[in-house]
Amino acid sequence: MTRIIEADGLTKSYGPRRGIVDVTFSVDEGEVFGFLGPNGAGKTTTIRTLLGLLRPTSGRASIFGLDVWSEAPRLHDRLSYVGSDPGYLGELTAGALLDYVAGLRGLARGAWRQAAERFELDPTVQIRKLSRGNRQKVGVVQAFMGDAPLLVLDEPTSGLDPLMQREFLTALSEARAAGRTVFLSSHNLPEVERSCDRVGIIREGRLIEISTVQALLAGHWRSVSLVLAAPAPAGTFDLPNVQVVSAAARDVHLMIRGDVNPLLRRIASLDVHDVSIATPEIEDIFLRFYDGTGPSPARVAVPAGASVPAHRTETGR
Amino acid sequence: MSARALLLDLRRSRTLLGWLVVITAAYAGFITVFYTNVAENAEEFEKLLEVYPKELLIAFGIEGNFADPGVFLSGYVFSFLWPLIAAIGAIALATRIAADVDRGFLDIVLATRLPRVRHLAASIGSQALGIGLLAGTMVGAIVLADLLIEPDFPTARVLAAGVHAFAFGAAIAGPATLFAVVFLDRGRAAGIVAGVLVLMYLLNVVAALAPEVDALATISAFRYFDVRDLIGDGAYPVGDSLLLGGVGAAGWALSLLVFRRRDLAA
Repeated sequence: MTRIIEADGLTKSYGPRRGIVDVTFSVDEGEVFGFLGPNGAGKTTTIRTLLGLLRPTSGRASIFGLDVWSEAPRLHDRLSYVGSDPGYLGELTAGALLDYVAGLRGLARGAWRQAAERFELDPTVQIRKLSRGNRQKVGVVQAFMGDAPLLVLDEPTSGLDPLMQREFLTALSEARAAGRTVFLSSHNLPEVERSCDRVGIIREGRLIEISTVQALLAGHWRSVSLVLAAPAPAGTFDLPNVQVVSAAARDVHLMIRGDVNPLLRRIASLDVHDVSIATPEIEDIFLRFYDGTGPSPARVAVPAGASVPAHRTETGR
Repeated sequence: MSARALLLDLRRSRTLLGWLVVITAAYAGFITVFYTNVAENAEEFEKLLEVYPKELLIAFGIEGNFADPGVFLSGYVFSFLWPLIAAIGAIALATRIAADVDRGFLDIVLATRLPRVRHLAASIGSQALGIGLLAGTMVGAIVLADLLIEPDFPTARVLAAGVHAFAFGAAIAGPATLFAVVFLDRGRAAGIVAGVLVLMYLLNVVAALAPEVDALATISAFRYFDVRDLIGDGAYPVGDSLLLGGVGAAGWALSLLVFRRRDLAA
């Protein structure tokens, strides 16, 4: 598997102000990598450093094997970028702006038309007259015009209505199916959950977790509620990854983390009237990293494709 | 230089340049037509001017016989209109790069295959064309209005004064571009350049009033922008023009060097 993005100890300071600290991760070809964090966590600084707009204070990063600072224009030839609040020129129409960017990216005039139709963007309107959502559509159209092998998207759906968000996710799936690599910074956690292979979580400038979405979910406690035909025999739920929260007569409430199959086999041996398993929402997991119960900021170095997070919270929900 | 970026920059400049062209053409044309009247009544004008304090006249570059085309055009157009037009145009065009960093537009542009140097070179090209357009408008308006009056101005010398005016504009735009890419702050860059220009202007006035501090004016750009002898006698100020043009070119060249490796932390 080819590494598309590699960051090693990437640090960026703005004088005394923190930017990002010792950020290390990699993204493989064809992977959709989600980058999560609250405002001011360092998402945009990371992206601007990866784009060669900011010079790293220390550490290094490469995209397509090219140094992001010294070889920026060469690597830009193969990526499509859209910012969270792009400073478009209000006096231009959306079409003129997109034509300009298309030209700079070596694309033909009107290369954006298909994407504009898909996202229902009127290219004839001056950008200053567009609503925030429609301005964001300009960014999404800009991202999906052409067939750059790498998409770098900084909160691309903020301001989009749910229909357009869904269309965006479909377009993202198609990009992944086409083998394109995506680096997606987002606040929209369901979006990340649905579209990303792996997720990096950044807090206070430090990458505190890298994991597959599945591992992130699996590494946290899930709630299992059972309604049994008869009380379960003692020790039925004695499994290393299961905690019995309550077992009142026929109603049983369990917490499970990790592999569910041993528990399911035990449950299958019982006469069950009802069962529900609540998977934790990624939002809950994400918020745990910010409410003090998540791990402390520390360097995490997980190779692309790894299925187990290097740091995992050990406490239940 | 990127032709695409240059065209966009010119497109973005059209409103500003359009208004400056209208103002420059209208003022320079009107003043030129007025010359016949001034020349015919030169003695009366000089008597009238004697009423004003010498310092005021020097401050506005009004020295000498107004029947002399060089004195007339210098006092009313080149030393009065042009510094204002050149400063507004050059500062506005040169500091746009800093505004583009601040608004995030540059992130979009520089995340493409366009190298930084080519982007800034396009901006510099646009500045040069804009200043050239304004200088050309000024001398063009004089030459066209001159067709309506007698006696004629020396057309070739007026056009040559336009070249010198361009060099003066470049001497503002070059450093303004440099400050813009160093500070990445349009307000600060524009403020510094405007402040330095005012200071230079005052130095020039003070030096004219007090010869004992004449040396102070040697650091003033206005000392090197005097077209009286050029229009009056045809003596082109080659050294002054090279100096002003050199300051502009050096500012632009340094801007390219700085911007090439500049951290774009807005």
